[in-house]
Amino acid sequence: MAQSEKRYDVIVIGAGHNGLVSAATLAKLGKRVCVLEKENEIGGMARNYEIADGLQAPRIAHLLYNYNPVVARELGLAEKIDKAPISTIALSDDGRHIEIANGALRYADGAEHPDAAAYAEIRRKIEKFGKLLAPLALRSPPDLSEGLSLAGAGEAAAIAKLGLELKMFGKKDMREFLRIVLSNIYDLALDEMPDGEVAGLLAADAVWGAWAGPRSPGTVFLLMYRYAYGADPSLPKRGAGAVVDAIVDVARSRGVEIRTGAAVSRLNIKNDAVTGVVLEGGSEISAKVVMSSLGAFPSMKMAGPQHYDVETVRRLRNVRAKGMTAKVNLVLRQEPKIGGVSLAQIAGRFVIAPSAKYVERAFSKAKYGEFPGAPVIEFVMPMVSDAAQRGRYLLSAIVQYIPYHLKGGWDDAARDRLTALTIDTLSQYIPELRENIAHVDALSPAFIERETGAPGGHWHHGELSTDQLLTVRPVNGMSRYAFGVRGYYLCGAGAHPGGGVSGAAGRNSALQLLKDGVLS
Amino acid sequence: MTKCDSYDAIVVGAGHNGLTTACYLAKAGLKTLVIEKNEQIGGAAVSTELYDGWIYSNCSYVCSLLRQEIIRDLELPRFGLQVVPFRGGVNLDGKGNYIGAYPDHYVMRREIARHSPIDVDAYDRYYQLVMRQCRFIRPFLLRPAPDPTSMKPRDIGELIYLVKRMYDIGPREVGEMIRFWTMSIGDFLDEFFESEFVKAKFAGSGIIGTGLGVYSPGTAYVLLHHYMGDVDGSLGAWGFARGAMGAISKALGAALEEAGGEIRTDAGLGEFVIRNGKVTGVALENGDEYRAPIVASNMDVKRTILHHVGRDKLPGDYVKAVERFKIRGSSGKLNIALDAMPRFPDLPENGEIFQGDFACNTSLEMLERAYDDWKEGYWSSGPYFDMLIPTKIDPTLAPPGKHMMSVFVQYAPYDLNVGGVRSPNNWTDEKRDAFAECVFDRLSLVCPDIRERVLHAEVRSPADIEREVGLTEGNIFQGELTFDQLLFNRPAPGYAQYNTPIEGLYIVGSSTHPGGGVMAAPGANAAREILRKLGKTTAMPTVADDEF
Repeated sequence: MAQSEKRYDVIVIGAGHNGLVSAATLAKLGKRVCVLEKENEIGGMARNYEIADGLQAPRIAHLLYNYNPVVARELGLAEKIDKAPISTIALSDDGRHIEIANGALRYADGAEHPDAAAYAEIRRKIEKFGKLLAPLALRSPPDLSEGLSLAGAGEAAAIAKLGLELKMFGKKDMREFLRIVLSNIYDLALDEMPDGEVAGLLAADAVWGAWAGPRSPGTVFLLMYRYAYGADPSLPKRGAGAVVDAIVDVARSRGVEIRTGAAVSRLNIKNDAVTGVVLEGGSEISAKVVMSSLGAFPSMKMAGPQHYDVETVRRLRNVRAKGMTAKVNLVLRQEPKIGGVSLAQIAGRFVIAPSAKYVERAFSKAKYGEFPGAPVIEFVMPMVSDAAQRGRYLLSAIVQYIPYHLKGGWDDAARDRLTALTIDTLSQYIPELRENIAHVDALSPAFIERETGAPGGHWHHGELSTDQLLTVRPVNGMSRYAFGVRGYYLCGAGAHPGGGVSGAAGRNSALQLLKDGVLS
Repeated sequence: MTKCDSYDAIVVGAGHNGLTTACYLAKAGLKTLVIEKNEQIGGAAVSTELYDGWIYSNCSYVCSLLRQEIIRDLELPRFGLQVVPFRGGVNLDGKGNYIGAYPDHYVMRREIARHSPIDVDAYDRYYQLVMRQCRFIRPFLLRPAPDPTSMKPRDIGELIYLVKRMYDIGPREVGEMIRFWTMSIGDFLDEFFESEFVKAKFAGSGIIGTGLGVYSPGTAYVLLHHYMGDVDGSLGAWGFARGAMGAISKALGAALEEAGGEIRTDAGLGEFVIRNGKVTGVALENGDEYRAPIVASNMDVKRTILHHVGRDKLPGDYVKAVERFKIRGSSGKLNIALDAMPRFPDLPENGEIFQGDFACNTSLEMLERAYDDWKEGYWSSGPYFDMLIPTKIDPTLAPPGKHMMSVFVQYAPYDLNVGGVRSPNNWTDEKRDAFAECVFDRLSLVCPDIRERVLHAEVRSPADIEREVGLTEGNIFQGELTFDQLLFNRPAPGYAQYNTPIEGLYIVGSSTHPGGGVMAAPGANAAREILRKLGKTTAMPTVADDEF
């Protein structure tokens, strides 16, 4: 017979960074929290792993973009994470690469670039508009169902504040914001510059992780999301896993219990309220509240569709999460050499997207479930300067567009094709790469789904398109984290505001459930 | 000898919007002149005899969006306008299957059930949602788009009207609206239907006339441009103008002349005459000059500003906004004279679906692939077409027993790619023929004897449409219908209320809110702005309000 364990205030399903942030936020306020992780390692997409004997590699996420300073401050992470913005090199077919360092764009050899001013203006606008929208990510989506009541006034005031800030931009920037916010990056870039590496870089930065090409409307918003805390990504020392380690430290120091190898099979629900979870082995853990950091649809299945009305189930099933991004990690025997890139520059981020058309063409193949002729790649060599790992070098690549719905399915042969395609593309810029490879790990979107539970292997658990944002994320009517059954909350990237290693969804959901009073 | 006459207002271009503006101005008592470069009025809404005895709507070919308020204000039926609703339509897959569209709801349900029982109920939900959006948006078509940066009482009033209507429908429905307005038609249909063939049937309306694919966000909204119209109050219905589309222009022209307006054809514009930032009249290509303190341009914004005003007379920001306004040619047309009704072996004989439009959309993927060809500068190898046989409804358009076909084809690029070079000049006769062959190949899938029936075929590439009608890139909407070019962004932020930086110069065509589709709404809205400035508020066009 199933045995009952001690009762917690909150159980969090999934020890990804959002689940951990939820747990740490609640524990800080004195709640007893238990995090259950089905894998044997903590961290989900943001974790490190041992790729080869003694060599740590970022499993999936390898850079920080919208790392949220507010979340970091609230949890006291800031001092634990050693991170620095890095430069970006946009690789060019002709060897005349482009470098963006400290916000300025020039050729990698130091020469002036003709599109530098156009790039700077686009970047200024996107960063400014991203900053305007950033506060939205740190609160529950506005709830307008309160209407003209006192509570409704508070929600309306939040929107009015945003409107006022927009007005403070002055007419010119306000109009520009309203013009471009739903438009596409392809036109935005090519209205100002000829197609080439600069436009390609902007296009690639707008579409990472998305089922969208540069010509798809909505991609400018994605770029705003990414650049909200600055356009330059930062590389944490010891990889993105260091962020997870810091959150885990904070959570544990506040008494959060984290159990690995503990897969939840379903929720226990009595009288339409959550009472706990049942683990795969059959043992039960009870709690007043259960938070799920899985995607919206798998979270619903965990509670059981019988607890949702037909319309809600239909909406949840329709959440679009078609992953387009694979991860390939290479262990190299020697330090890789890239023509036209200096030793100092090798620690930066590299992007292979020689033009916006190149990015669009890659998408044009993958949207039908085919491999692109030439993928868009972002890679870093995070351990190049790390003395502890001398003698072995790591190349961590994000490869796009690699469809989750691959025609013919994801078998071993398909994975080998992913590996070959990635190495072929990289080899065009790193000539001696092939002979230099000691080990390859290629993680397809299907594999990422299996391992992390992210629907479709999608970074954001659901496309960040306008029809799946804010009040309609994850679905219309469920945007404020409460997930259908009393005491059940969604705390992962599938909820507002979405993914990226920001922790905002985890934090917001924790604060919302306290506000809702389900723990009292 | 050159002439020089004075008017109160001059309208450049006798398209349906220009004529509508002119009618309202003339009815308000302004001495109004319309100049038109072609020998007949109508712009893209014309009836032309391309082949002896056959009268074609040789550009726009069906009518639904023409606002009832305008038809009533201008009494167009009195001037001969009669719109005959067409019944049904059909989508074929070329392999023996078809799905018809029928005005009778229960017949339609049975038809969908043949393809997928599940999609029958989905169709009801789909149709209800789309119609709710139509009802929401319709009043906005005949209201100006408010400028959100403005503090003027009228702009704030319009914004309040918008917020109030959103408040009235409730937060859940607002959520649905946000989704519908920003989704792709492909994703939208995927949410409802399981049958690829059923989806493909409905998808065409989301992409007609645009430079977007079925999976481009924002195309679900374009669907509204094909559903929000009506024929005599029957929401969503489409019809033929008796005597072809030129009948609309003729009725508008007759209404204008009765109101005292003048029309001069074969009068191409040279340039707008501008002194000290004010328009003072127009100079024709033939040297004639006409003076007026108000000049309304029916041409698209690019043609108006970049070809006929001159960049030096305008603020740099405005010129830039006009330059980046996207008017993308994406469609061509074939007008075909037939010696007899061609055979459609897959369809029941003489069904009422013959009186509607035909398509051969096999799947969303086929439509998306058609878009991919266009992006690279080629016409689609498997094109989307919207084909009609107008003589099945109005037999007077062709000699007895003969028929005609109007085939709208998408996608066809304006700047055709030949050997890596993209240019409208690549549309040679040879290329035009090759394009037509590609369309005939596709038509042959559903109508195998089409090639034997052809007496004459007129093939029009986007470049031809630009040359003949004056529409930039041959785009049927005078500008893409993406959010960055709708409402207060159409045609340029800060100049979305039919005005330009030149005092007295207005833009009244489909480049302005609410866009194209033979609605005449831009023309009427522009007339309202002009009359308001003149203080003639009693003569202004009807402002639409909640109608349902």
